[in-house]
Amino acid sequence: MALVHLKFSFDGIPGASIPREWSHSGVVGSGDMEVLLTRREQNGRVNVTVCTPVSGFDRVWELVLRRFVAESGCGDLELEINDNNATPFVVGLRLRQALLEARGGEI
Amino acid sequence: MRYSELQRKSFLEATARERATGLTDEGSFTELAGPRDRMMSPHLPALGEAVSFDDGVVTGVGLVGEHPVFIISQEGKFIGGAVGEVHGAKMAGIFRLALTAYDHAAQEHPHDLERYRPAVVVSFETGGVRLHEANAGLLAHAEIMDLIQDTKGKVPVISLIGSKVGCFGGMGFVAAATDVILMSPQGRLGLTGPEVIEQEIGKEEFDASDKSLISRTTGGKHKYIMCDCNELVEDRIGAFRDALCGLLNRPYSSLCRCRRIGSYELVREQMALVRLAAQLDPSDSKDIWRYYGNAEPDLIPEMEVKEFLKTAHRRPREVE
Repeated sequence: MALVHLKFSFDGIPGASIPREWSHSGVVGSGDMEVLLTRREQNGRVNVTVCTPVSGFDRVWELVLRRFVAESGCGDLELEINDNNATPFVVGLRLRQALLEARGGEI
Repeated sequence: MRYSELQRKSFLEATARERATGLTDEGSFTELAGPRDRMMSPHLPALGEAVSFDDGVVTGVGLVGEHPVFIISQEGKFIGGAVGEVHGAKMAGIFRLALTAYDHAAQEHPHDLERYRPAVVVSFETGGVRLHEANAGLLAHAEIMDLIQDTKGKVPVISLIGSKVGCFGGMGFVAAATDVILMSPQGRLGLTGPEVIEQEIGKEEFDASDKSLISRTTGGKHKYIMCDCNELVEDRIGAFRDALCGLLNRPYSSLCRCRRIGSYELVREQMALVRLAAQLDPSDSKDIWRYYGNAEPDLIPEMEVKEFLKTAHRRPREVE
């Protein structure tokens, strides 16, 4: 019944953070999510917190997030996710979009 | 997204944050109590419902020319833009800030107030009270209604309605109490939403699956003919912005004359409408359109905005 809070931590690339102090992207619609990215110098570490109404998908979150960190080549970040039943594919997509936006790219 | 692209973007498709940014002058919008402040609903987690960093509403201040414009932009994708405790408090906070800004402007520019007068702009996308935190949501509605009364004679309050969810429930009342309403044809404004009417009274009364019926009874064109909305614009952020700039260039007194309620004369005008509805007993909005002089009401739903504005006959206002 209560919301599920998950915490993860991954090895990222030192110095591969975002240009501004923080960036926000996405809307918590049905089947969607938002993410708040904050720059934090911590030897490349990427810490992620997830807040979701769905329980029992800890392992899937870890796999999707691990792959995002590895493939995007990011680092030195805190990610805070508010999720509302987004599928693993949507999560991956939204995270890539969020990083691109934070780095000033066009979608 | 670049500012120029934002201006061309559909208002209907835009997120609350895009609308807020695109309505104000380029680079001028500053979000207040934004996602980084993490002001989230204290009630939703207990119910196991997803939360959002902004509780479904973007609030902040920007400029339109010399006017500080205080923006409230609701996000319909988050619980239908419904108003909960934090969402409502953020809205109320914006009204308070605008009133403070007015006091400053009145002191700093007593002879040039028309130019520096602040405004409140609300981009509605909501069904009203968030039932998960209904008491707090209702209180927020009452508080905002009260604050709108406090703005009278000081700060114009302008409603923009052109987003997916429309503007229904308690927030339909709130919009009606503002000074000016701008809509796009896609915008919808009402009190009891179509699905609630169908659920409560039945499909014979209102078929909520009939999109064109919904558009004919709550949509921008109907509201324009009825003078429930003051101006109709195309479905672009830039079109809403242009209309907003136009309004803010007009004297404040002319915006006050756009009101639909708030005086004995206006109440009398509304009562005359109720009598007319009973007398005409219309079976469809088209009957009313025809009554007000639109000879071919069947053509209206498909008409482009420009052509519609050129040819439409509106309900004559009794109070000018």
